[in-house]
Amino acid sequence: MKKKRAAAAAMAAVMTVMSLAGCGASANGSSAAQGAGTTGTGAGAEENAATAQEGAAEAEGSAVLGNPEGQSITFWHSMGGVNGEALTALVDKFNQENEYGIRVEAQYQGEYDDAINKLKSAQIGNMGADLVQIYDIGTRFMIDSGWVIPMEQLIATDGWDKSQLEPNIAAYYTVDNTMYSMPFNSSTPILYYNKDLFEKAGITEVPDSLPAIQEIGQQLLDAGAGEVISLAIYGWFFEQFTAKQGAEYANNGNGRTEAATAVSFDENGSGLKTLTAWKSLYDAGFAPNVGKGGDAGLADFSAGKSAITLGSTASLKQILNDVNGKFEVGTAFFPKVNETDEGGVSIGGASLWALNNNDPDKQAAVWELVKFLVSPESQAYWNAQTGYFPVTTAAHEEQVFLDNIAQYPQFQTAIDQLHASSPESAGALLSVFPEARQIVQTEIENMLNGKETPEEAVQKMASDINASIEEYNLLNE
Amino acid sequence: MKMMKKLQKMFGAYCYLLPSLLVFAVFLFYPFLKTIYLSLYKTNRMGQAKLFYGLGNYRDLLTSEAFYNSMAVTLIFVVIVVAGGMLLGLAAALLCNRAFPGIRFFSTAYALPMAIASSSAALIFKIMLHPSIGIVNKLLGTDINWINDERFALVCVALLTAWLNSGINFLYFSAGLSNIDESIYERASVDGATAVQKFFRLTLPGLSPILFYTIVVNIIQAFQAFGQVKILTEGGPGEATNLIVYSIYRDAFFNYRFGSAAAQSVVLFFVIMLLTLLMFRVEKKGVKY
Repeated sequence: MKKKRAAAAAMAAVMTVMSLAGCGASANGSSAAQGAGTTGTGAGAEENAATAQEGAAEAEGSAVLGNPEGQSITFWHSMGGVNGEALTALVDKFNQENEYGIRVEAQYQGEYDDAINKLKSAQIGNMGADLVQIYDIGTRFMIDSGWVIPMEQLIATDGWDKSQLEPNIAAYYTVDNTMYSMPFNSSTPILYYNKDLFEKAGITEVPDSLPAIQEIGQQLLDAGAGEVISLAIYGWFFEQFTAKQGAEYANNGNGRTEAATAVSFDENGSGLKTLTAWKSLYDAGFAPNVGKGGDAGLADFSAGKSAITLGSTASLKQILNDVNGKFEVGTAFFPKVNETDEGGVSIGGASLWALNNNDPDKQAAVWELVKFLVSPESQAYWNAQTGYFPVTTAAHEEQVFLDNIAQYPQFQTAIDQLHASSPESAGALLSVFPEARQIVQTEIENMLNGKETPEEAVQKMASDINASIEEYNLLNE
Repeated sequence: MKMMKKLQKMFGAYCYLLPSLLVFAVFLFYPFLKTIYLSLYKTNRMGQAKLFYGLGNYRDLLTSEAFYNSMAVTLIFVVIVVAGGMLLGLAAALLCNRAFPGIRFFSTAYALPMAIASSSAALIFKIMLHPSIGIVNKLLGTDINWINDERFALVCVALLTAWLNSGINFLYFSAGLSNIDESIYERASVDGATAVQKFFRLTLPGLSPILFYTIVVNIIQAFQAFGQVKILTEGGPGEATNLIVYSIYRDAFFNYRFGSAAAQSVVLFFVIMLLTLLMFRVEKKGVKY
């Protein structure tokens, strides 16, 4: 009898879970419909976009800033973990110290991809935030969307001095001579190497190109390295290898003079050179497939297995923590693809976008927050906590910054590298960049797995991305 | 008067059904119709239907290699997940079908995967399967890049899903087992039946109704696996784990190509519907109540 009752209870539990599962299922099924639901309100959103653009046209270089007194604003960001804590600390400080009684509510909206997708859905219903943090490759989309007040207008109205910003960083976010968003967390990729292993192998010169890594590969393996380089399959690295060759990723001046209509890394040969060098490292057994994404190569390096890895400067702190003194970590410039390359790196990371909510008072409050976040003091703190660049040059004189660089001299590499790059290597803008990155990564995987030659991989990348650009341009005129 | 009664008889039932129909209409019927509508269009960056494309999305799908790859990958995945998940659940249920000390602990452990979110399980597996710091390679003494190697990635994701599904299967089977009359086993023992004979002649037939139900639910669930793919492999390496649901997600929320995503959803719907119909056919033959 008791068993029967237990069985009944179990069945009841099963039914409940089933109904939940049913919910999940319908949520999946309706995912497409969610986007569809947007059609109803679409007209309203378009109208908004139109007014925003009109506003931009008539008030070139100026915006109305109202009274920020007592305003509440919402700030969407994508900083999780240690970085999220640092950002929360900054926002809390602003809430306590600002003289206007502005209240900022900072909301974590998931990773960069998630945040921009949420924004797309939210904007359609006009319920988005006042200030959002959007990643570098979302720049073209945000400009095209017509949802934003160009940061340039707020800067001009307030008479803020733009030259405080690191020029190479400002260059990335400046399109058609207008700075659309305020750089906030910027990083570049650098090369990390295991100094102990290098010493053991008797290598004194840190390689500055992929062929140079190939040359010392065997020496490193003989010295006991498990892998020569843990090179993650990451679209950002592919873009940087293109920039290092001084080549353009997309046409129309990297999509900066006008929206790009096709990629150009196939025609200018830079893509093939990158992939050939990559494949050659892989074939020699020096650069095994360690997975996709920016962090994929870091674990092997921190564990002491690989002698070299490529990673964002923003990973420096994480790497040093993980290595925890097991060996000495060296840093160097991001490698070139050919010995003769003379290009630089472009920045990655994210910037702050002010959304046009047609409320001058809120805009004024947003501007106060932005000014606070890029102030030398905030940026020095931000840099020390996270490893992102200080976007304001004056932050270099803050004590917090000086202490940090004394403690982690490796960080100097990142700053030198940024200064050694010219604003011309500012990097491409592409409306379909998130998708392009995925395509690049998939084809590199296919190439490494021996399904395609480097030539075929480049062709496939170019044709897939071009098809997607063409469709985007057709549907979003 | 008689007329009223008749009317009441006709519509009364529908009145009772109305609330649930309303809920269904909002959350199932409307989205379903909208999906079909969208599948006939190309959408802009906001996901709004922009350009009527007719059956073009379907034509593109049926001529694209990637779609057939997704289908093939999904089928292999479903087979591994359903077989693995059910065997695990059944084995665990059989083990826990007798009384022994600590049974509560074991039944909880076997049912536990049900309570674990697929994404958190995937995060844990990601660390366990890591080639240089993961415990799997350490224990097996191998040096395999589990989730980045085409040969293993799909199997890894499928086995993880099978384990996750085994929890609920364990519950189903436990419930099913406790419904089988104990006395028939005693009689079989008296007749000298072996354990294997008892399992195939008594346990399996006795379980057949719940077995059928479990298969149907498992297949549908396996088709909808998503979180583990997104976290472990993102459809890679190459397209090796690009399950159809993940491909829908990627098209809809990454590329904002709702038309193509909607077309894939419709195709998936028909595939699952056909499979379910087929299974109900089989049920009439194989299941004894």
